[in-house]
Amino acid sequence: MTVLRLGILFSASGDYGALGRDCRDGAMTAIEDLRGVCSIVIEPVAGDPAGSSERYIELARRMLQEDGCRHVIGTVTSQARKDVIPIIEKHDALLWYVCPYEGFEANPNVIYTGACPNQHLRPLFEHMLPAHGRRVYLTGANYVWGWEMNRLAREIVVEAGGEIVGERCLPIGDTDVGRIVAEVAARRPDFILSNMLGPSSHAFLRAMRELGRRDPTFRPERCPVVSCDLTECELPEIGLGVADGQLAAASYFDSLDTLANRVLKAHVAVRFGSDRRVSSYFATSYATVCLCAEAVTRCGTDDPVKIRAALAGVQTPSPLGPLRIDPATNHANLPFLLGRISGGDFVILQSRPTAVADPYLIRRRTSVQPLRAEPRLRIVS
Amino acid sequence: MKATLSFLGRRAVIVHRPSDTTDRLLRQCALLGLRAEARWQPLSAVEGVDIVLVDADEGWDGLLPWAPSEKPVPLVALLASEAPGRIAWALDQGADALIAKPVTASAVYPAFVMATRRHAEARQLSERIARLEERVRLRALVHAAVRTFMVTDGCGEEEAYGRLRREAMQTRLTLEQTAASILASPRRQAG
Repeated sequence: MTVLRLGILFSASGDYGALGRDCRDGAMTAIEDLRGVCSIVIEPVAGDPAGSSERYIELARRMLQEDGCRHVIGTVTSQARKDVIPIIEKHDALLWYVCPYEGFEANPNVIYTGACPNQHLRPLFEHMLPAHGRRVYLTGANYVWGWEMNRLAREIVVEAGGEIVGERCLPIGDTDVGRIVAEVAARRPDFILSNMLGPSSHAFLRAMRELGRRDPTFRPERCPVVSCDLTECELPEIGLGVADGQLAAASYFDSLDTLANRVLKAHVAVRFGSDRRVSSYFATSYATVCLCAEAVTRCGTDDPVKIRAALAGVQTPSPLGPLRIDPATNHANLPFLLGRISGGDFVILQSRPTAVADPYLIRRRTSVQPLRAEPRLRIVS
Repeated sequence: MKATLSFLGRRAVIVHRPSDTTDRLLRQCALLGLRAEARWQPLSAVEGVDIVLVDADEGWDGLLPWAPSEKPVPLVALLASEAPGRIAWALDQGADALIAKPVTASAVYPAFVMATRRHAEARQLSERIARLEERVRLRALVHAAVRTFMVTDGCGEEEAYGRLRREAMQTRLTLEQTAASILASPRRQAG
């Protein structure tokens, strides 16, 4: 019987532990659900790097060199992914990356099932700019995700004739959001893009709630905080109700009413209790393990070269809809959903059908019409 | 902030023996929206080509159809060797960026962006130097025109220079062109 020894490399502790725990739980739930159902044996080898680059590298090395893994599902941040890629390449293994990220990467040794900007940020702004206005404030975590997402957002906004009224990043884990909130209060944007994660993001959403209480201009109906990385798994930590009305883009929400999702939620309720919400991190990780298992089953081996080739012809049903990898980019085709926070859930406001990933954004710049032609002055010298 | 560069629709030529290196480069080019071809023959012209990649390990003089100072397109050197002679060859061709072999996927887009920017900057710089050289060459005319105004208007050097500048602004010509036309005008000369 074919054996798939699968490295599971997520930070379940540390600053973004909630995300890592959902990714890990999604993968482990899939392995449980597949036991006895599919004709291969999946042996998980789990490690928790706790958000440390050195630990990520050491654990990945151990999984590939000592534990005999040829596939690793893992890393949450882009920093960690970039740290691990050289070891993956060296062993000609495959890394299955399940989190939304900032794009501009298409490594032959990575299968990307998280969304990239043409699947999250662009459709989000195509909705937000006409609906809420074109004066935007940008915040983010002080590393490549925050920097690049803000940069892309700035390009989209400027191209649409809008204005970035402020931009500020915080180191991961920093909760000193006072200065950002004061700037937001003074500059009165139409909406705010937050690319912060973990404690910074939670502190910011709490502070925006306070600001909205003092001045109704900053309530979510008037000046929402939008993001591409906030999911159900962080809402209890923020405080249920605190972030109500704020918006997020994702390729999955727990509230999605499909047969595949009802089945997944039933399994999750049995395993974790009926209070547990499923986030896009959980669902994507779950779907990715199922996809990997399907490819290994078809090939009769876990040889990464054969798996990568076989993926072109594999499409699996999943809670995110039918999941397929585009062989040109190694990225998943994914739907876009816009959700509004309500208690521990997201109410789905808008959905778009599955889109092919365009990691280098070559297909189209933006579809938001500029407000007016910019007058151009020339200085004659 | 400079806009994120898009290479959609642009054309690349990879001057390198067909190999794993060219396979990897062709894959990344396709992802970036470039039409690319690999060839291992001297390049005769670069019409319609937007970027050239060249094997600096095995390249020879005459492989590329330009003198280094006249390089018409961004150039990326592909290099596995550390030999000083090969690095010098790449520099002599006018390489704007380097991709180390074996090629990793993540090395391609940064090198293309860097080569494109460097090439554009070098072009702007040489155009600027040419303009400045021309102005230095014609500086004697400006002096002569100022002296003419000082005589005809009976004013000081500063005022005469100010008048020359105003005329240049009004006629939308450079100082040098204005000075030349003043000196060429018999009416002016006569006062």
